[in-house]
Amino acid sequence: MKREYLTFVRQFKDLKEGTQKLFVKDLTPGPRKYDTKYVKAEISSDPEKMRNGDILRIRSESGILLPQPWGIKILEELSESVTGQPWQDVFRTIENL
Amino acid sequence: MPFKDHRDFIETLKKTDDVIEITKEVDWDLEAGAISRRMYEMGGPSIWFKKVKDYPEAFTLYNGSLGTWCRVAIALGLPPETPVREIYRTYEERLEKPIEPAIVEKKKAPCKENILLGDQVDLYRFPAPMIHEGDGGRYIGTWDLVVTKDPETGWTNWGMYRFMIHNKRWLAGWPQPTSQLAYQMIKYYLPRNEPMPAALVIGADPIAHMVATAPFRLGEDEAKFAGALRKEPIELVQCETCDLLVPAHSEIVIEGEIPTDQIVPDGPFGEYPGYRSGTMAEGVGFKVKAITYRNNPILTMIALGVPIDDSSIAASLTAGVAMKRGLKHRGIPVVDVYAPPEGVTHLIYVSVKKGGIELSREVLDYFTARRVMVSKVIVLDEDVNIFDNGQVLHAFATKCHPGRGIVVEHYEGRANSLTPCYSPKERERLKGASVAFDATWPLEWPQEIIPIKASFKTIYSKEIQEKVVQNWEAYGFK
Repeated sequence: MKREYLTFVRQFKDLKEGTQKLFVKDLTPGPRKYDTKYVKAEISSDPEKMRNGDILRIRSESGILLPQPWGIKILEELSESVTGQPWQDVFRTIENL
Repeated sequence: MPFKDHRDFIETLKKTDDVIEITKEVDWDLEAGAISRRMYEMGGPSIWFKKVKDYPEAFTLYNGSLGTWCRVAIALGLPPETPVREIYRTYEERLEKPIEPAIVEKKKAPCKENILLGDQVDLYRFPAPMIHEGDGGRYIGTWDLVVTKDPETGWTNWGMYRFMIHNKRWLAGWPQPTSQLAYQMIKYYLPRNEPMPAALVIGADPIAHMVATAPFRLGEDEAKFAGALRKEPIELVQCETCDLLVPAHSEIVIEGEIPTDQIVPDGPFGEYPGYRSGTMAEGVGFKVKAITYRNNPILTMIALGVPIDDSSIAASLTAGVAMKRGLKHRGIPVVDVYAPPEGVTHLIYVSVKKGGIELSREVLDYFTARRVMVSKVIVLDEDVNIFDNGQVLHAFATKCHPGRGIVVEHYEGRANSLTPCYSPKERERLKGASVAFDATWPLEWPQEIIPIKASFKTIYSKEIQEKVVQNWEAYGFK
């Protein structure tokens, strides 16, 4: 039985195939559904081509679901969080105004 | 007597049929959110979900504390049918007399009935709802209050900020970069690279949550205004892992810290303007160190969305009165300010003693001076009851000159990124614009040329009015 995961991207075109580091949410039903992991994974827009892969559902920044799911094979679980400063994306932009 | 906690409040709401208890099992995953949202849109009561899927019966969910003006009136100890204008007046008057909080011992604080520390911490013990389909996660913090402190001045801020479960030990949130939480972080913790202690409080008494939505000035403690509104001190207790004080009668308190060097993704989330509009961000991480909670904890929530709901109602009151204080402070001859809930604090009505385009410009300057949450302001003469949308619409339609009655201000770095009409690029740069619609008569017009409003009370003499009123039944009218 394939597991299902969910990830978010600003726009669908932002997601690239191949080995990526990304946050995924585990969609396994139960009280821990949507638990988030930061992983290194191989992802493909064609789940059929990925042997022993799981399902990756993708939503945009507005929460719109991409009709066709991708395939994902998690290679490694990474840290719980990533290095960064709160609001760094906003500050970066404002500094460049 | 003010409400000590949410439980007292719910009990009182039962008397006016303002709460419904659902004993049928409901799924935390979208079902509770969908029921709650539909109920808001039907103008119905608050909902207490007594059996939540995957969770023991002792862990319940409650939506809609202050989702109607009637429930706000009850929370303030006023009669349920109190008119909105009167609720505003009461709120404004009570704020004039802040009351310092009372600190209680831990053993007397119900929120300490259960304590999870260190490895015991597991956010999945609580039935945090997945509120909208397509949200970024399970938002445990919606109808919450987040406590943070400026160690240099001792100023403690309460703010209502969204926080979702990232994993069993981490929350992800996105207090706006223009928020007071962000102000404290940027002023003190970021330069020192020290994590900021924080406590996320769920299910305190209803007034505490209401004041958490209020935009008080920097340095003002919400706790003493909660006391003012309750007309009694609010009881606070110290956290287990830091020196922050939290409402002692809260249902759940999540203690932790916001690191300055680690982040987790937050959102998107269907937000208070009534849309889920690209509110996904490199969010603020909240590393949980302890959870304390009452026996049979009630997780308060709000299925945010199109108005009217708790958020639009509470913010209408708290922001409206704060804006009135601010405008007065600036010397504007303000009579009243109303933030209609339908306008989700993007649209504000301001009535003034003397209007004119220059005054409208000054009003707009006030709204755009620092963080800008308001995008449209209608300035009106004092004869308009601004709590009556019909009167405001009539004045706007007829008195605002389409050519010279509109003032627009553009800005960058301080706009409200949740405003749905902004493009992704504008949101990224916090770039926006605000407009004032001057619906007052020009000051330079002599009295004799000002159009006379053709209403019963304004176009007839007192004598005729009295005659008509006195003879009303004699005419055959009931």
